[in-house]
Amino acid sequence: MHSDPTDLIHRAQQGDRAAFEALYRAHAGRVYALCLRLTADAAQAEERTQDAFVRAWERLATYRGESAFSSWLYRLTVNEVLLGRRAERRREQRVVTTDDPAALERPRDADPASGSALDLERAVAALPPGAREVFVLHDVEGYRHQEIAALAGIAVGTSKAQLFRARRLLREALNR
Amino acid sequence: MTYPHMDAKLNEYVDGTLAARNRASVEAHLAECAGCRTAVAELRSLSAAAARLPKSIEPGQDLWPAIAARIRPRATWNVQRVWWRGAVAAAAVLVIALGLYRLLPPSTALYRPAGEGWVAVQADFDRASDELSRILAVERERLRPETVALLERNLAVIDTAIAESRAALARDPASAELRRFFAAAARQKVELLRWAARVAAS
Repeated sequence: MHSDPTDLIHRAQQGDRAAFEALYRAHAGRVYALCLRLTADAAQAEERTQDAFVRAWERLATYRGESAFSSWLYRLTVNEVLLGRRAERRREQRVVTTDDPAALERPRDADPASGSALDLERAVAALPPGAREVFVLHDVEGYRHQEIAALAGIAVGTSKAQLFRARRLLREALNR
Repeated sequence: MTYPHMDAKLNEYVDGTLAARNRASVEAHLAECAGCRTAVAELRSLSAAAARLPKSIEPGQDLWPAIAARIRPRATWNVQRVWWRGAVAAAAVLVIALGLYRLLPPSTALYRPAGEGWVAVQADFDRASDELSRILAVERERLRPETVALLERNLAVIDTAIAESRAALARDPASAELRRFFAAAARQKVELLRWAARVAAS
């Protein structure tokens, strides 16, 4: 049985946890995919997914319906991941590449025969974090540079430079 | 092979963000450069492949139980919030009313002797201020770090004004000017704490 999303949102805003769980069920895959591609780490992605939904519950009253709920939720997710990453970067300067490539072989909605998609997922996961984040947001999620710059706290020029760097590294990796 | 200086232009060309004049010059270059034509084809293919990646990936485990354990029931949360807002408002009204009452000028029937009034005002203000600060400490985590920084900066300024007016009043307890100065600083502090309450509750 499918519930009306607007009704679910309204009920969740009133404190209905069952309605919020239904919203979680409807959006968990998309939120997790975003977190996984941004972090390139399955354990971190699960943590960030939890953080995003907890944050969404706390901020639900501020959702006024000006944009689609999914857009609001995914933007909030990106914020959570990027804020977490900035805090982590402050704690220790380290390069994070995927230490769990198998996690990226799990896309259940992907065509199993699609080897090139898998190659691309692995190559994206191996990008330096800054380049990976911009590539995922721009080329996978369709955000514009102005939006990425605002979300990531970087200049538009930096966003473009990271995207071009990511594409160059990906072309090199996929042509090997 | 492509020329390094063409890299940004080719990316912008593929993204459709290149100005018309530059677009014409890139197209002229592409007509002559096989390496750059290959690069453009690869960039287009890469962007198309990225856009086709699955938008949804199910987590390896159900994350709902962990999320459910972390979210507070909204009803309780609202009750707490309403109580907290009420407490802040009540404390603010109390401190302002008592401050005004005790700092009334000598011509008013309610005026108290300077020494007694000043001690009582200080005690009232300290109690209300402590109470507001204690409540705010509980809700502090709901404020953004920038807001906390702004709050602390302003509180520091007001606390300095309060400390200075107290010190001056200790030297000249009968000064109506100093009492007004103290009352204004105390009111500012209460208003600031109320503002923080509204922000935390929004």
